[in-house]
Amino acid sequence: MATSRYTKAAAAAAVMTLCLAACSSGGDAQEEGGAAAVEAAESGTVTWWGWTPDTPVAERYIEEFNKEYPDIEVTYRNFENVDFRTTLAPALDSGEGPDIFNLSPAGGSPDTWGGYALDLEPIAQDVLGDDYESAFGGGYLDQLRDSEGRLVSMPLGGMAAGFLWYNADIFEEAGAEVPTDYDSWVKACDDIAAIGKGCFTMGAGGSDTFPSEMYHSIANSVDPEWFIKAATGQAKWDDPQGIEVLQIISDMRDDGIIASNALDSTQYPLANEEFMRGDAAMVQMGFWYTQYAGAESCVAAMEAAAVSNPECFVQLPAPFPDVAGKGNGSVYFGEVDYGLAINADSPNIAAAKTFLTWMTMTKTGQQNVVNAMDLLPALQGVTPDWDAIELVDNEVQRPAIEQLMKDSTETTQSRQWQTTESALDAIILAIQQVLDPTVDRSVEDIAADMEASAEDSTVGVED
Amino acid sequence: MVTTTGPVTVGSEGAPRAPRRGGRRARAPRLVPGGLRWILPGFILSVGLIYYSIIYSGYLSFFDWGGGRRPMIPAGFDNYVEAFSDPVFWTALRNTLVYFVVVFTVQVVGAVLFAAVMHSKIFLANVYKVIVVTPVFVAPAVLAPAHIEVWQTNGTVNAILDALGLDSLMQGWLGQSTTSLLVIILVGCWGSIGFGFILYYAGMAQIEPEMVEAARIDGAGNIRLLFSVVLPNLKGTTVSLAILNFITALKLFDSVWLITQGGPSHSSEFLGTMIYAETAGSSRNLGYAAALSVILLVIAVTVSVVIQLRSRERTPVVGKKAPRV
Repeated sequence: MATSRYTKAAAAAAVMTLCLAACSSGGDAQEEGGAAAVEAAESGTVTWWGWTPDTPVAERYIEEFNKEYPDIEVTYRNFENVDFRTTLAPALDSGEGPDIFNLSPAGGSPDTWGGYALDLEPIAQDVLGDDYESAFGGGYLDQLRDSEGRLVSMPLGGMAAGFLWYNADIFEEAGAEVPTDYDSWVKACDDIAAIGKGCFTMGAGGSDTFPSEMYHSIANSVDPEWFIKAATGQAKWDDPQGIEVLQIISDMRDDGIIASNALDSTQYPLANEEFMRGDAAMVQMGFWYTQYAGAESCVAAMEAAAVSNPECFVQLPAPFPDVAGKGNGSVYFGEVDYGLAINADSPNIAAAKTFLTWMTMTKTGQQNVVNAMDLLPALQGVTPDWDAIELVDNEVQRPAIEQLMKDSTETTQSRQWQTTESALDAIILAIQQVLDPTVDRSVEDIAADMEASAEDSTVGVED
Repeated sequence: MVTTTGPVTVGSEGAPRAPRRGGRRARAPRLVPGGLRWILPGFILSVGLIYYSIIYSGYLSFFDWGGGRRPMIPAGFDNYVEAFSDPVFWTALRNTLVYFVVVFTVQVVGAVLFAAVMHSKIFLANVYKVIVVTPVFVAPAVLAPAHIEVWQTNGTVNAILDALGLDSLMQGWLGQSTTSLLVIILVGCWGSIGFGFILYYAGMAQIEPEMVEAARIDGAGNIRLLFSVVLPNLKGTTVSLAILNFITALKLFDSVWLITQGGPSHSSEFLGTMIYAETAGSSRNLGYAAALSVILLVIAVTVSVVIQLRSRERTPVVGKKAPRV
């Protein structure tokens, strides 16, 4: 009898445990209507999770927000890129997730995470009117809709890539010219090597997709239309243009433009730290790197790169050199960097709405974002308040950054929105094989493998 | 005439048995099911967390799923077919095997020698013990940056080679397909000898001194003693290390991810890093990751059982005449 009782108890407990585990993994669909109908509040608490911005920048945003809404307490938690994804899913599933989370357009994220988010279209309509879409630039809203058309996050800001950042102090010391084509890049690297500094730092090891930007830039130099065509299946990765791109990367390694340690690690931390330490003269980073031109954020970035008593250097953007020598120059590519999404299961939707609305749909909030120089403004008509921005060298950097912002808002190509994750992975793998001196394969074979493994994107492609 | 009436010693040969109560044979103490209540919490945790997770992973492996609230699309055995036709999977298995063979061999040889030496009188023995055991309790996350520092292109190894005039041997150890696995293996060897040493050192202390003495009297030298007395007595330890090493190689993740992320070009990929990349990487497919996890589990259990069975002591044959010699 006793055995039977215990067996039943154990079985019941096991079944209960299984049920609890099963229930926690799925989660209920959000009650959209009810949650969206919640009125914004002027008090409460909000938790915000993201892989960007850096914590000091987020704290600056929150400080400005609290000047208008002192009774809403916002807590920001910053994650590394990969950690964000692995932490967010179980947190949202278990109901312990943040009230607001970052959501980017890349790699189908609106579909992956959009199921947890409120549809923000009604809020945008309430705040900005029926013509709310025209208030935002660059097709940012379209990039943050899921495949069913729900607007699952509101754009905080955009970014662009496809250019270099250089340390003007090193160039001056070396007497080098900023490169504009392949030969002048080789010459600049020789001059910089002569003063014992690294030339162009790049971290192509691991699985980070940052090196895909160099591939995209070179491709634009070869043929400005080919990369997006290949990404969307209208061209092939092993077309002559693709083979030429890989050959140029191989030449850059052989001619010393790409450093021999490029495969030692990833762009973050390797390239970032070498550049911020002042050990390398150039790095390929996007608009988000503008923030380090600031007098204060430069110090923080250098300290993070293990520089004691940092003395900021003057960093400037430069177009990617015309490495193919076909006169195509460099075409920037960009898209919305990320948006803010409201967790549909959040108990603090009212306060979250207030924070999200202020950050993404008010000029004050967007002014704050632009002044941090981390993102391009999402809202049209917002420009930096240069009186509130202190650069390392205002006279030199301000005109260059103004030009960069102008060029970055006029991009005609997406950065990763129209490139599938498998294509980005294939690009990284191809770059690694080209740069690895022990891989004995032709660029034709490597390009053929790219074509075989990269899936075509259908995003933004008209039938 | 003397009679024995008091309690008697049980078990000594020839001693009288204790009287039976009431003339009936006493029942042997039975296994009381009441003990179940003590294992219930652990049982529930095991079933609820571990076995549920395993079963759920098996279920998940039959779907394509990007995670979150994305739809789970039934995929049948596609994820398994994809795994077995994925060259990276075979690279990961090959790397696992190479890692296991090299690290296990180095661990056994290094640990046995070190333990043997430590059992003799040696100056500053405790210092050597601390040095060799320290890597065991330092977390891989702490060690990884140091290993990167040592092996990177501008690192210590190349600096030493340069200083020795061996600059022709300098290379990008981490960034080459031919050397990245070597670095991971060396890191594994470095950390494993201390663990093996702990087990072998303790095992050697358990060997009967009479057995060693008898071997010495029979004229056995150090080498003979090691192979004919010490190692056979430590067979259980060696088998345990083999199983532990194989499972470690199968699950290897932390040091690989922190040092090479499985690259370049998947050259240092292991099943653990593949699974993590599929779970947390850019092109995530949790169904595929689950299929890889199930394969890993099957391999781990199978190999462990095979090693156990192969290493069991042979049951002595009783009742048969020994062959004439």
